[in-house]
Amino acid sequence: MNNIEIKLKDLVKDLFAGEKIDVLIGYENGSLPLRSRPCFVHSAGEVDRLVWNSYCTNNLAVYLPRIFQRQEHKKEETPPPRVGIIAKGCDARSVVGLLKENQVIKENIIVIGMPCSGMIDPAKVEAALDGAGPYSCQGEVDGSLEVTTSSGEKKRLKREEVTAEACLECSHPLAEGADLQIEGEPKEACDERYEKIREFEAKSTEERWQSFVKEISKCIRCYACRQACPNCYCKICFVDQTKPRWIGASDELSNVMIYHIGRIFHQAGRCVECDACVHACPMDIDLRLFTQKLVKDVKELFDYVPGLSVEELPPLWTFKQDDSQSFITEP
Amino acid sequence: MNKTVDNWEPKIVAFLCNWCSYAGADLAGVSRLQYPPNLRVIRVPCSGRINPLYIVKALQQGVDGVLVSGCHPGDCHYISGNLVARRKFALLKNFLAYLGIEPERVQFSWVSASEGSRFAALIEKVVDEVKELGPAKKLVKKGL
Amino acid sequence: MLQGLIKKEDLKKLIASVKKEGTFYGLIRGSEGLSLSELGPDDEVTLDYSNFKMPPKRQFFPFSEVICTYEDESMTDLPLSEEKAVIFGVRPCDALSLLYLDKIFIDEKFTDPYYRSRRDNSLIISLACREPLKTCFCTSVGASPAGKKGADILAFEVKDSLLFEACSEKGTRFMENYPAIFKKPGKADIKARDEEVSAAEKRVQTIDLSGITEKLQGCFDSPLWEEISQRCLGCGVCTYTCPTCHCFGLYDEKVELKGRRIRVQDSCMFPSFTLEASGHNPRTSNEERMRQRIMHKFRYTVENFEDIFCVGCGRCISNCPVNMDIRETLAEVIK
Repeated sequence: MNNIEIKLKDLVKDLFAGEKIDVLIGYENGSLPLRSRPCFVHSAGEVDRLVWNSYCTNNLAVYLPRIFQRQEHKKEETPPPRVGIIAKGCDARSVVGLLKENQVIKENIIVIGMPCSGMIDPAKVEAALDGAGPYSCQGEVDGSLEVTTSSGEKKRLKREEVTAEACLECSHPLAEGADLQIEGEPKEACDERYEKIREFEAKSTEERWQSFVKEISKCIRCYACRQACPNCYCKICFVDQTKPRWIGASDELSNVMIYHIGRIFHQAGRCVECDACVHACPMDIDLRLFTQKLVKDVKELFDYVPGLSVEELPPLWTFKQDDSQSFITEP
Repeated sequence: MNKTVDNWEPKIVAFLCNWCSYAGADLAGVSRLQYPPNLRVIRVPCSGRINPLYIVKALQQGVDGVLVSGCHPGDCHYISGNLVARRKFALLKNFLAYLGIEPERVQFSWVSASEGSRFAALIEKVVDEVKELGPAKKLVKKGL
Repeated sequence: MLQGLIKKEDLKKLIASVKKEGTFYGLIRGSEGLSLSELGPDDEVTLDYSNFKMPPKRQFFPFSEVICTYEDESMTDLPLSEEKAVIFGVRPCDALSLLYLDKIFIDEKFTDPYYRSRRDNSLIISLACREPLKTCFCTSVGASPAGKKGADILAFEVKDSLLFEACSEKGTRFMENYPAIFKKPGKADIKARDEEVSAAEKRVQTIDLSGITEKLQGCFDSPLWEEISQRCLGCGVCTYTCPTCHCFGLYDEKVELKGRRIRVQDSCMFPSFTLEASGHNPRTSNEERMRQRIMHKFRYTVENFEDIFCVGCGRCISNCPVNMDIRETLAEVIK
């Protein structure tokens, strides 16, 4: 058990002992190699389930709106729960966004910031093993991941090579503004960003369209991207609305495209680039190629980075007199 | 690159705000200014009322171009509706172009109630540009 | 039982022969990963895989299909598929899932003509598993790495060859059609196969499912469901990648007086699945939806069709964004 994990457990035990929280959202060991998964801890006795390792990929903030919404829905007389949440840099920024949008009750949440050193992407590990079939993982040694393939072959994979894309490009690995902070060495922030987006922008219109078609054609409309996104808490998503029915239910390409355009555009000025949607996608659609474009534009046009301050107004709620309008058609 | 089919005329949906651009279109009409008849006008209370889905949905239904026009910045009947919309439009215009939809398919402009001639000139320009592109194929729902 | 040996490189000949009468579907590893695709004699058939992402039900029950079109007062049914197809490389668990789907779509009273025409016109060659995944539990639900149920022909990899074994009349007839391609296998080949099969069977993880249906009958109102479903995000990955999930909805799309009716797969994990026209939704929470999915597979289908509608392929486990593991869920229920 690593040091951080011990500190974390002690801290959470204290929170339960001091009756500060009713539930803690954290990670536990998953049932597959390289997987930790979200878990809900309700008492000090359960705290030992918690883990902290390089596989805590899920953005836990996704559970907050429903925890607070549910109380309202059930119209119970019990007060809303007091929630503790374990947060990487990206989770914490999502919490800030949710606070801003009144999806989280400020007094009822305790954010425990983790020193995140970047998460490992199981898909990259599988790719590095080149389809060698089932494998097991022995953990990390000196900045490498040790795995054993089913044929018994031991392999060492460099950590940078199997770190998730979002983590490699992460600009805020530390959960700034967290209520409590677990000490440790977070990953360095990355300043060199959006290279892929610039490359894509430089392509011709037709090339870009073909890439968009190729990516979206993989979609099976399972909505995992939407469900995994902390920002997607609409009670009825526009794709599920029936009056009017915005888009057809079939997998006809235009329907699927409009779903993705709508969902991604809805994240404008809100997306914290946690890649929850990318990791959730069972078909490996490169959603990051599209979500990041809006993040980049919001930064460039309105100088706004989401999830850093609760007070700052989101870019699409406000305006400046001198906002760029070079896109306007002049006759 | 002229892909126009014989006799093909583009269909263009124009979302015009009630207070400025719709009145501007009216003025163009009563002033007997000539402009291409390719528009299908939808009157909206304010350019701030435009949901990006309206635009994308119009493209899916097979229109060849979408124009959104509102009051000039500073002139909004609701003070700042068009200013908030301007940010949304800037992002949307970039985003759709980024995905590979020809930028000329979706256009935004400002036309005031007194600018009948600007309206006529704007429509002329938009229709010309869309004609140049030819019929819309991307995002269009197939089979119906 | 008819057996035949075919060199792996001779698969091309088989594909070329089949192509004369129909389509040959097999697995190829393309830029987008492994998928069941139409193959030509020049394509490299992949044999080196555990299983592929989307279940074979998609061949017979596509995600969405137009079933009729209408204009003014007249309605036209879409013609039934007449494509003769050979589907090669389906895993035995997935082949079994097709028998379950048959129970749904090919019923004495209600037969789905679209599904049926595709089923009748296709031949399934399954490929026995040598390397079960960590998510596989087929032997616990009546399937096995070399199961014959649902297959017309079962193929085994034996060194540089494939050993074909006919499992149905259709399969026998198919093999008899190509006497030049199949050779008679030797005793050593059959022994090698038997060893592989039993080794693979031993490697599959097992779970104890005894009494699951009875347990489920008694736990409709259990607080268990809330506990289990806490983590679930409510997406449709498990149902859409499941080889036996078959629920669908019908939608009309129209422009003025012209339109079409489309059948689209639906998922019980979505709130809109149970939304009624009045606006009322009888199944509003995640926990009720999760309960429905488990109950449907392990209780209702047993009551109605005498089969658990799960073949243990593990897709719902490996694809779940939050690692919901149906094996653990079932263990919780049994406990």
